[in-house]
Amino acid sequence: MSLKVVPQSIEIRNNKIEFENLLFFIIDSTSSVKIEPLIGYDAIIIDSKDADFAKLILRKIRGHYNPEFYLKPIFLINYKESKDPILQNMNDGIIHSYDQLKDIADVAKQIFLKTTQLDYQLVATFEAQMVKKVLNYMYTRDLKTLKPIPDLNSAIGYTYPEISVNFDSAEETQVLEILGWGEKEGLIWPDFFERIYLCNNCNGGFLSYREVCPHCNSSNSSAQDLVHHFPCAYIGPLSDFRNTIDNSLTCPKCNKALRHIGVDYDKPSIIHHCNNCDKNFQDFFVKAKCISCTQDIEVQYLIPKSINIYKLTKRGRTAAANGFLSSGREVEDIFGAISMPVFKTLLHYEIERIKDNTEQKSSIAIINIENILELYKKTGKKGEKSILENIVNLVRENIRTTDFIAFENSSTLYLGLINCDYLQSEADLLNLKTLIEKLIRNNFNDFEVKINFKVKLLQPFNKSEFQLDELTKELFD
Amino acid sequence: MRFLDEFINYMSSVDAAKLFRMFWFFFIFEFFRFFLIEISTIIFWKFDSIFRKKGIADARLSLLKSQPLVSIIVPGRNEGKHIFKLVNSLKEQTYQNFELIVIDDGSDDDTAVICRNLEHNGMINAFYRNDVRGGKASAANLGLRYARGEFIVHFDADCSYDRDAIENILVPFFYNPKIGAVGGNVQVRNYKESLCATLQALEYYDTISIGRITTSELGIYRVISGAFGAFRKEALDRLGGWDIGPGLDGDITVKIRKLGYVIHFEPTAVCQTSVPVTFNRLIKQRLRWDKSLIRFRLRKHRDVFIPNDSFRFSNFISFVENVTYNLILNVKWYFYLLDMLFNFTSQLVFIVPMNIVLYTVNNFMKFLVFSPFRDRKNEGITYFLIYIPLMVFYFGYFLRIVRTTAYIQEIFFKASYKDNWNPAKSSRQAKALKL
Ligand SMILES: [Zn+2]
Ligand SMILES: [Zn+2]
Ligand SMILES: [Zn+2]
Repeated sequence: MSLKVVPQSIEIRNNKIEFENLLFFIIDSTSSVKIEPLIGYDAIIIDSKDADFAKLILRKIRGHYNPEFYLKPIFLINYKESKDPILQNMNDGIIHSYDQLKDIADVAKQIFLKTTQLDYQLVATFEAQMVKKVLNYMYTRDLKTLKPIPDLNSAIGYTYPEISVNFDSAEETQVLEILGWGEKEGLIWPDFFERIYLCNNCNGGFLSYREVCPHCNSSNSSAQDLVHHFPCAYIGPLSDFRNTIDNSLTCPKCNKALRHIGVDYDKPSIIHHCNNCDKNFQDFFVKAKCISCTQDIEVQYLIPKSINIYKLTKRGRTAAANGFLSSGREVEDIFGAISMPVFKTLLHYEIERIKDNTEQKSSIAIINIENILELYKKTGKKGEKSILENIVNLVRENIRTTDFIAFENSSTLYLGLINCDYLQSEADLLNLKTLIEKLIRNNFNDFEVKINFKVKLLQPFNKSEFQLDELTKELFD
Repeated sequence: MRFLDEFINYMSSVDAAKLFRMFWFFFIFEFFRFFLIEISTIIFWKFDSIFRKKGIADARLSLLKSQPLVSIIVPGRNEGKHIFKLVNSLKEQTYQNFELIVIDDGSDDDTAVICRNLEHNGMINAFYRNDVRGGKASAANLGLRYARGEFIVHFDADCSYDRDAIENILVPFFYNPKIGAVGGNVQVRNYKESLCATLQALEYYDTISIGRITTSELGIYRVISGAFGAFRKEALDRLGGWDIGPGLDGDITVKIRKLGYVIHFEPTAVCQTSVPVTFNRLIKQRLRWDKSLIRFRLRKHRDVFIPNDSFRFSNFISFVENVTYNLILNVKWYFYLLDMLFNFTSQLVFIVPMNIVLYTVNNFMKFLVFSPFRDRKNEGITYFLIYIPLMVFYFGYFLRIVRTTAYIQEIFFKASYKDNWNPAKSSRQAKALKL
């Protein structure tokens, strides 16, 4: 059987298939691993026997911050069985030949239908954005639960494919934090599945448990039965009773042979001898050695975590389609920035002011850092705050003192540029974009942020909310 | 009043010979052995100690200089509640180069939990536990097996020890290299708790402190108390440790003496113990102690009466002394009772009160004469003085009846093998081997 069985009616040209008004792109091992050009296609078919390659592509698409990518229908052909939970769970179907194109086309259409029902309203924080992403994915795929799957490649031993796909395996504990947040928000409901213990140093879940000497922590010890000879009350390790000649056991105190356990002797306990420090002990410590960071930890200091199966709550189901308002934290107060309500109030006053002074021009601007989520994935919650602080500092240094800044969420900020016309504002924003890109690049290993911005002149006769909405729509369209 | 007149009249009419005939038991045993011999030994000991002073100071110096490792072994069952207190009090000891080994003989309470924790925190050097109970001897032997010290000090978990107790119990080993074991001075801590405890305090003071100075001086010191004793590890190793009890304390003392070592009593090494506060519990304790005399003196160590290789004259004397003044004395007392009943029937009304008077006067004299020899007093002389008249009843009647009961039970029924002191498995073996 040849590898590509293509029915007559289907034509593959430059890895593209048009079928029932859908444009499929086939990624095979000769394709580039760059996924950005895929944005125009309706669905992707990965054609590879190389599981690692398929996994790489799948991870790239599903881990993307942009719903245009991460919600895209992906199918596998010529798939070689793999145990990887992401590869197994994050595809939308496996086909064996292009005859089945009709089947996957139907699946893709279903997904599209659901996708159009989604609301892409931005949410404030990193966790919220992650949860939103997962909920969107679950909604479009009709998933009701998030199930942990045992996975040797995950640092904690379990993978939740829908969330883990966003993280390196070493950052798997962040997955638990995000799930915890979703649980706190009432979007998902936990059902206990398993308890795990994590390293208190690196959060690793691969621990080697050993019995160690309580005096020196060495695991180099040997155990022996203690033997109690009733007639003379002698008690000592079994080796005391051995002789060099034969297999019989003789009491070193009274020289009688041991005859029958329970009658003239017994073995009341076990004793351990440490070959490292030469001490004897009965109660060894159990210590866990972390395979990742080699830290040796007393078991009571391990971090216990519950691994749960999460079900979507009613609130979660609604939120998946309609978006949700986080009752939890908003972007934390960042020194140098003001809150959104204050921003709107100030904007309102500025509109009133330019109404009276028509020759005065002021502008509003929005900056969105498209892929900053990628950065937060690496730095976690703490990093999020310090990145935002650095950005605010930088912006403040490069605008006028009368201008004001507010965060809509951790990837979007608004600027009010006072006495600044459109051209000047656009120039300012272009400069800020370059500066922010440079800041991130210098601090995060050449990480390239994608910054989009939009500037509008403030209109004297429109409400501040309306003008901000217009600005936002223009940026995202 | 009339009786008192008659009593005094009768007594004054009796001449010396008749007095001795009527109270021979008192004069021979009580006055001679427990007063004259003890007082002369003690005066000699006190006098002699002036000459020993330099030697003892030198011994102390060489102990403190060489700092030998001492293994304190504390065998016990369900003693966990006392261990923390013991551990803490040991921090106060003037001699600190010791390892503390606690052995749990199959406790069924929190002992293991408490001791494991103390072991983990480094407050106990080693904790060994037999999940299956093996008896006190096997517990002590387990401690001995893993002890690393040159000297073994045997403690009871529920006792407390003077700050210098360990130091003082070790000094004799450096004074006389022939000393193989040293007994500590056990005093009653709870002597104020009840009349029963007060009487025992007097008893301990009299027979145990003063009595042991005497027997130690005479070389016939019999029982190193399990509450506080120190041993050369070498001696214990040669013996393979303790044999199964009860009476293992006396047994090990005899065996060490048989090895040719000197056994010493050290009055300055003080340990405080709690005694039974009710007569009921006291009876139980004493029955167990007294039964062991028969078992170990007569059954197991018969050989001390038979001249052979290991025969030593002082061992023989120690045995004769012990057997005489405990077993035979007990029999003799009944003999005396019968003597009086049949030969002095009519005078009995005078003889009984006179005996009480004689004993009480003797007790007062002993107490007053010996008191200056006490280094370490738990209470002023006056506290005990008012209890002295009761001693004749406590010693002369109460303890004697208990002892007799024990002897009868042990001689005729071998009761101690049934005692739950040892697990059944060990007792069965011991009985079969005639131990
Ligand atoms: Zn680790
Ligand atoms: Zn060790
Ligand atoms: Zn044996």
